[in-house]
Amino acid sequence: MIQLLLLPAILLVGLVFGVPLIRYAWLSLHADSVVTGLVAIPNNGANWLRLINDQRFWQDAIQTSRFAVVSVGLELLIALAIALLLDQRWRGRGVVRAATLLPWALPTTVMALGWRWIFNTPYGPIEQLAKLFGLHTLNILSNPDITWLATVVGDVWKTTPFIALILLAGLQTIPEDLYEAFRLEGGKPRAALFRITLPLLQPYVLLGLLFRLAQAFGVFDLIQVMTGGGPASSTESLALYSYINAMRFLDFGYSATIMIGSFILLLLACILVWAIIQQSRILKGALK
Amino acid sequence: MSLILQDIGRRVGRKWILRHLQLEVANGECLALLGPSGCGKSTTLRLIAGLDLADEGSILIDGQDVSKVAAVDRRIGMVFQSYALFPHLTVAANLCLGLRVRGISAAEQQHRVASVLALMQLEEFADRRPAQLSGGQRQRVALARALLRDPLVYLLDEPMSNLDAQLREDLRPELRRLILNGNQPVVYVTHDQHEAMAMADRIAVLRDGQLEQIGTPQELYLKPSTIFVASFIGRPQINLLPAQSGIVTAIRPEDVHLSEEGISCRIIDIEWLGTSQLCLLDSPKGKLRMLCNSQIKIPENVKVKWSSEKEHHFNSESGHRIN
Repeated sequence: MIQLLLLPAILLVGLVFGVPLIRYAWLSLHADSVVTGLVAIPNNGANWLRLINDQRFWQDAIQTSRFAVVSVGLELLIALAIALLLDQRWRGRGVVRAATLLPWALPTTVMALGWRWIFNTPYGPIEQLAKLFGLHTLNILSNPDITWLATVVGDVWKTTPFIALILLAGLQTIPEDLYEAFRLEGGKPRAALFRITLPLLQPYVLLGLLFRLAQAFGVFDLIQVMTGGGPASSTESLALYSYINAMRFLDFGYSATIMIGSFILLLLACILVWAIIQQSRILKGALK
Repeated sequence: MSLILQDIGRRVGRKWILRHLQLEVANGECLALLGPSGCGKSTTLRLIAGLDLADEGSILIDGQDVSKVAAVDRRIGMVFQSYALFPHLTVAANLCLGLRVRGISAAEQQHRVASVLALMQLEEFADRRPAQLSGGQRQRVALARALLRDPLVYLLDEPMSNLDAQLREDLRPELRRLILNGNQPVVYVTHDQHEAMAMADRIAVLRDGQLEQIGTPQELYLKPSTIFVASFIGRPQINLLPAQSGIVTAIRPEDVHLSEEGISCRIIDIEWLGTSQLCLLDSPKGKLRMLCNSQIKIPENVKVKWSSEKEHHFNSESGHRIN
């Protein structure tokens, strides 16, 4: 009977996540577009066949993965440095800790607009700096080879604080005693980082990694505002492609197929990450 | 003398939390630092270990001034109150880690860890993690790690406070055998006077960062130098009679006994303790505690007395003993 108490939570989660997921899965098995007069007509998996042969979908999948892996990787490294710094006691730490969180508190669209302006050619400060150093125009937001890096910069700037916060919480669970015992054993500070801090931080790294990978894989607003997916679709993410199908081409059936397809890819990626980290011997201990 | 603290002081901000501490611990001697929480006993231990640096005075180990020597190089074997075992490592790896960072060869590491595991009867737990061990087993691992350090000084910070009473009694002889019988000076921090008396050769009672008295357990019990020591050492607590012309008289409950020529008292309460019973009396001199044989049947009104030789006298202003 006590399980009844879980009912409101289950209902809420079911309504918010379960219903749309099932609805999308259902929709992905139907043709539902302007052509069908926006009426869902079963089409025997034609959407899925189209998805598998859709070059643009796979291109976007690769681009999205590249974006997610590179930005989350960078975020982890920078966040670790920030967390280690904020874990030390020093004057003004409180102010810096609050300031660190600011980018995260800013609405993504607002900060994405800011970055678009920063990378603007020819008026943005980056171009101005380049000019100062005698470089020729960089065209950051219109060069298909490097524009994705600009979106990575925006994402790293925005979400590093989130990981830093998780890692900082993790650092504060490590008892000071362990470091003191290690010191008395003859251990140097750098050895303490690798032998104590990092192993004990692994569960938190994993947590941040899974959270952020899932989030970065579904990136939409940042890309939409900064580049609109361009130039030449070089920064288009799966979520953006799905959005375009629904909102520009009014093809809801196929849009749903892309969503479910990328959901499956993400699920596989998360399972993979989890499995790889589970294999790591150090982590097994830390999780116990 | 192997461990000497000369006029040690430690300050936090402007406040001295430890001042003018003078201690000497001989090789093979166990000194207990005893006192209520906040008296500076753990601070003293941290200063000896080098985890904090003294703001005043110097620390000598085997005649060498180590006041400015880093903790890493002081060769201290310390057992932490929390045991401070590395949760992500097995027992064997916990013990190996120190040897490894000190650059001892792999073969030597194996050999030494194996022998200390055998000594501590921990072989079967070598592959377990601290979370899979009981409190007593964890404590043995912490001891094993201290032994492996091959230290010049042992420091034990409330090593038994996380164990239940029975286990504590069981572990005392083991602790004596392993560490206290060695050749190194041992400093043992505790707030438990029974433990201090059972384990230590000498006890230093600290109060508010100052040394109150140092001596053998017998000296502290029989000749407490201040009211504070008198009431801190010995349970049930000593009777302090109201001050008369600046002198406080104190008498231990076990020195009070029934006698027809004594003062008349009324029994307020009796605690039966097995071999003895503790009587709370209302006497003309105030409330008194009397410890007597549990066989005796106590009437409601009794007469009690004590030998004047057993009385302790203290100056009521300074709290110091008057002889």
